[in-house]
Amino acid sequence: MTKAVRSRFWHSDGRRLSGLSTLLLLLPFFAVIAFVFIYPIAQLLVISFIEPHPTLDNYARVIDNPVHARVLMRTLWTAALVTALSVVLGFPVAYYMSRARGALAAFVAVCVILPLWSSVLVRTAAWSFLFQRNGLINSALMALGLTSEPFKLLYTQSAVVIAMTHVLLPFMILPIYGALRSIPNDYARAAAVLGASRLRTFLEVILPLSLPGVVSGSLLVFLTALGFFITPALLGSPQEMMISTLVSKQIREVLDWPFAAALVGVLTAFVTLLAIVFSKTLRFDRLMGGAS
Amino acid sequence: MGNEIFVKPASTTSAAAGASIRISRLEKRFGPVFAVDGVNLDIAAGEFIALLGPSGSGKTTILMSVAGFEFPTSGTIQVDSEDLTYVPSNRRNLGMVFQNYTLFPHMTILDNVAFPLKMRGLPKAERHARAEAALATVRLGGYGSRRPNELSGGQQQRVALARAIVYQPRVLLMDEPLSALDKNLREDMQLEIKRLHAELGITVIFVTHDQSEALTMADRIAVLKDGKIQQIGPARELYERPANLFTAGFVGEMNFVDVTVESVGDLVSVRLPWGETWQLPPTAAVDAATVGEAAVMAVRPERLRLGTGAAGQVVKVTLSDIVYAGAAMLLIGRLPDGTELRARIPGASQLDALAPGDVATFTVPGEAILLYRGTRR
Repeated sequence: MTKAVRSRFWHSDGRRLSGLSTLLLLLPFFAVIAFVFIYPIAQLLVISFIEPHPTLDNYARVIDNPVHARVLMRTLWTAALVTALSVVLGFPVAYYMSRARGALAAFVAVCVILPLWSSVLVRTAAWSFLFQRNGLINSALMALGLTSEPFKLLYTQSAVVIAMTHVLLPFMILPIYGALRSIPNDYARAAAVLGASRLRTFLEVILPLSLPGVVSGSLLVFLTALGFFITPALLGSPQEMMISTLVSKQIREVLDWPFAAALVGVLTAFVTLLAIVFSKTLRFDRLMGGAS
Repeated sequence: MGNEIFVKPASTTSAAAGASIRISRLEKRFGPVFAVDGVNLDIAAGEFIALLGPSGSGKTTILMSVAGFEFPTSGTIQVDSEDLTYVPSNRRNLGMVFQNYTLFPHMTILDNVAFPLKMRGLPKAERHARAEAALATVRLGGYGSRRPNELSGGQQQRVALARAIVYQPRVLLMDEPLSALDKNLREDMQLEIKRLHAELGITVIFVTHDQSEALTMADRIAVLKDGKIQQIGPARELYERPANLFTAGFVGEMNFVDVTVESVGDLVSVRLPWGETWQLPPTAAVDAATVGEAAVMAVRPERLRLGTGAAGQVVKVTLSDIVYAGAAMLLIGRLPDGTELRARIPGASQLDALAPGDVATFTVPGEAILLYRGTRR
């Protein structure tokens, strides 16, 4: 080992950055992260263990109380459902975007990216108009004679799942698109000339090579969905709460900070565990290695 | 999908004969541009043919049409008199090697080589056995469990070769397969491919822009430019007697001098730019020479002789550069009218006395001169 600290970062003129300059460059970012993220989370976790006195009671309450356990399970299930729907809806779009050229392709790309620039609140509010008793969906169904009574759409778990899928879809499409774009065209050609039909080319070559994109998109969507607040709060039923709504309730209405902290602790532990499992089991570097 | 090829034994020594290929009036247009412009090409069973040309000459488009990645605007492609022009790639049963190896990075080497067999529905044990055998023929036995990124470029291209022949296709298409490799490796692979071709008896279409590669490897070479075949023939014919000015300039090094035809008889007499008149043997005229018309005289640099010892025409050249180039010395100079002339002279000892600025005398043997209609200017 050489004693000089050599970083993996380079100056624009090709020289390596010294360890110190690397540190200085990264410092502002880590300072912000430490101040606005790590410190509050740590503080919260500390509270969950020491208040009202050093105890694990707060955590016991999450699991013991069937209502709370159900909220946790519902949150996981909803996030999983939203993730699955996003994969199913997003993959074809990403695939199309990765192949197509020209005006239609640009239009699709804009359709995917544009919603990202509008606020989640606006998009959720739009859904609540559509889902109303006399909203667009119900009037359309009744006009078509498919139903005589309006469906209850607003304030249901289905409304939450549909709207969350809509909001999170770009986070699924973009990573998959990126993965598909990085697959050289010649792979599909090679598979074809070696005897693979289009379907088998897709299943044996394109899909496996795009998996890193699917996995990172799924992680992004699933983890974001776990902590989603606005959409469940506006469109969901109070009887079918999700964990973020419960946390907010504990903090703002019940003022039970230690218990809210314990809920956050459970969620954080779960997310961390998931991230570790994924990075250990799926060796992306190996999966994509050799793609020139 | 009963494919009689699989009934044959896996052994590669029982030369599964190659197929004949007939390309007729092939045309491919991209908008107003003709990528391929009326190409006719008959390839005999087991022949090794190279498509040689600069980029944009249409050589790759022809290969893509044979592979089924491009459908031609018009014309037909027949393999063993079966029309494959619009048959999808996966039902053509051709082997293909790409420039960038295209090994599937998520599969082991063995699975890569077994892939075409899997697509043809062979049971696992048999396809693995045959993939192992194919790896052994490219001398990579025992590498099966590795991943593509654990192999060097040359090894990867040999795996790609094994994958392309493991299902015993009767035609092997190669799209600049060696251009990503460094020089020594490239020469090894050229021999390897030649050996496989001889062993398997497979028909090979080899696309390259490297003329020495084409000359070394192919039975016949088709020289392409602007979507048209300029000349097709064995290496020797192409090199010794290029059919036109383009081939003359593209294949190997060539000196050109613009001349005017003065008379045509038992000898062709041409006037050189500096006023001399040379009598050339009638065989020199590749195109029929017409009195009074402009023509181009062409001579290979290695056909020039230093001094006046041999029979032929004599020229005086003012040397500008003397380059030591290993097997031969390269002399670069100017003819009396300023036209550049290059000469490659084997054996360095006699050249020690020469220096840039000297006027050297060269003899041009009459039979080394080729005469084309047209002009270089």
